[in-house]
Amino acid sequence: MSFSTSDLTRLGDTLWEIPVGARADMRVPARVFADAELLEAILGDRSLEQLQNVATLPGVVDAALAMPDIHQGYGFPVGGVAATELPDGVISPGGVGYDINCGVRLLVLPLTVEEIGARVEPLVHELSRAIPAGMGRGGALELDDAGLNGVLQNGSRELLQLAIGTDEDVERTESGGCLPGADPAAVSERARLRGRRQLGTLGSGNHFVELQVVARVDDPATAEAFGLALGRLTVLIHSGSRGLGHQVCTDYVRLMDAAREGYGIQLPDRQLACAPASSPEGRAYLSAMACAANFAFGNRQAIAHAVREAVARVLGRDVARATRQVYDVAHNVAKVERYGGRDLCVHRKGATRAFPAGSPDIPEAYRAVGQPVFVPGSMGTASYVLAGEPASLERSFGTTCHGAGRAMSRTGARKRISGADLRRQLEAQGIVVRCPSNRGLAEEAPFAYKDVERVVDVVARAGLARKVAQLRPLGVVKG
Amino acid sequence: MTYRFLEHTGEVELELEAPSEEALFAEALAALLELTAGGETGEPERRDLVLAAADRSLLLADWLAELALLAELEQFVAERVVTLELDDLRLSATVEGRRGEPPHLVKAVTLSGLNVRQEGESWRGHVVLDV
Repeated sequence: MSFSTSDLTRLGDTLWEIPVGARADMRVPARVFADAELLEAILGDRSLEQLQNVATLPGVVDAALAMPDIHQGYGFPVGGVAATELPDGVISPGGVGYDINCGVRLLVLPLTVEEIGARVEPLVHELSRAIPAGMGRGGALELDDAGLNGVLQNGSRELLQLAIGTDEDVERTESGGCLPGADPAAVSERARLRGRRQLGTLGSGNHFVELQVVARVDDPATAEAFGLALGRLTVLIHSGSRGLGHQVCTDYVRLMDAAREGYGIQLPDRQLACAPASSPEGRAYLSAMACAANFAFGNRQAIAHAVREAVARVLGRDVARATRQVYDVAHNVAKVERYGGRDLCVHRKGATRAFPAGSPDIPEAYRAVGQPVFVPGSMGTASYVLAGEPASLERSFGTTCHGAGRAMSRTGARKRISGADLRRQLEAQGIVVRCPSNRGLAEEAPFAYKDVERVVDVVARAGLARKVAQLRPLGVVKG
Repeated sequence: MTYRFLEHTGEVELELEAPSEEALFAEALAALLELTAGGETGEPERRDLVLAAADRSLLLADWLAELALLAELEQFVAERVVTLELDDLRLSATVEGRRGEPPHLVKAVTLSGLNVRQEGESWRGHVVLDV
């Protein structure tokens, strides 16, 4: 089904609704945070139909929500948020996605762009050598069974035993780098096989490591609390749970696809396969998902370690030691959170938790200013640092956007530009590019994404998060 | 026989058509090859695959998932079907390919819109890949 603006009711400056009566199987309305221009882009694919499908899930409460970076995915749209009431509301592995706990981690260096001078290109080159990228490649860490179990159960903290990361890194990670309830026995042998040699690897697709400079500060006090200042260098890491997470999702979509009839669940899209969170299938998935999420936290920690090693080789050991982690946030995860006296299972698929100041779930160092949120732009455009705001708890289950959001298919992007031409364009803008695949580079062209500034404007106007700083790219290592 | 990639904002959406069900599965391999080919070297190698699924659509998903997994774990890019037999809900196949440097990751084969059906003299398939 295709939509036009007239199918939606405008609820406010940045909020639109497809009413619950629009389709007989919807249990709650579907709501989109967007301005008029972003809404036009959103209407160009099937993302709103997918959001309506999410609104049919058993146990879903309040509304199926879409952030302004929403685009068509499978099952859930990317940028989709849905909460189901426990104990009997469903958990849907497709509502988390294949790349469980895909997320971003921001590091800040104790140097300014002036101080690094001509060493930008050597540093980006060294980052590309230090961090395995591309399809399925092995990484710096090869784990035996016990080591893998440790990461699956304990996440980031497990890597401290290998001198990878610091206590402060772990503290400055969403959920302390470890989701509770992880049970390695819920993870299949095939998933373990896929993950065994991938800890510390970037992967492919839209994953990247980017060297950036703080180009603008919107909220000086919060920026200072995050350790950011105008001109300072940052490194943004975007990766997830690699093949291990992909296989966990595959395994449990299949399990729930087979089991759902037994629970009397009818769905408009088979990829939404789900089961009550309290069921044996639901509990097993939550245990396996926690393992994959912990693996992803560990993966980004290992990549951050490789970044520090590269920094040490190019800029010196003292600079590496003083390179600090701002925070690490998940984009694809389901979590049990409490809203309005209800225990809810909040699915975030391409969306970021954005808890406000005062939340006990964010590090003490940030409790006065709110949780850091990182919104990567597309290659060649700015990324943003935001901070969670109180309205997120009232309007979006404590959630905000996760990126610019695709606006064009990969095929469409490749038709418009070759990887070689894009590489030249980016380098002409002064951005150092390292990417093993010209095809992969072309697919991530900046014009294939929505305008990230407009996306963050919407979440700021909606009161979900406020702008703290803008980060401009200096160099990118693409998976 | 044909395959084509449809416009999909986030992922890769694939439509298949072939005169037989076996040929449909061979077309799916050809489409995946377009995504994963790159830098293959050395002598051709063969792999035997035996799969079973609850329905034909899931069998197509499993087929693509197995081929994608060979690329991820062994850097083995399947280039052609040597033999392929479908028996009820089981598939037995031998594929030939070479080791290379597959540039494009297929993370998973989704169930979204997954479909295998016969229309007149043709077999049609539809699948969305997470990339």
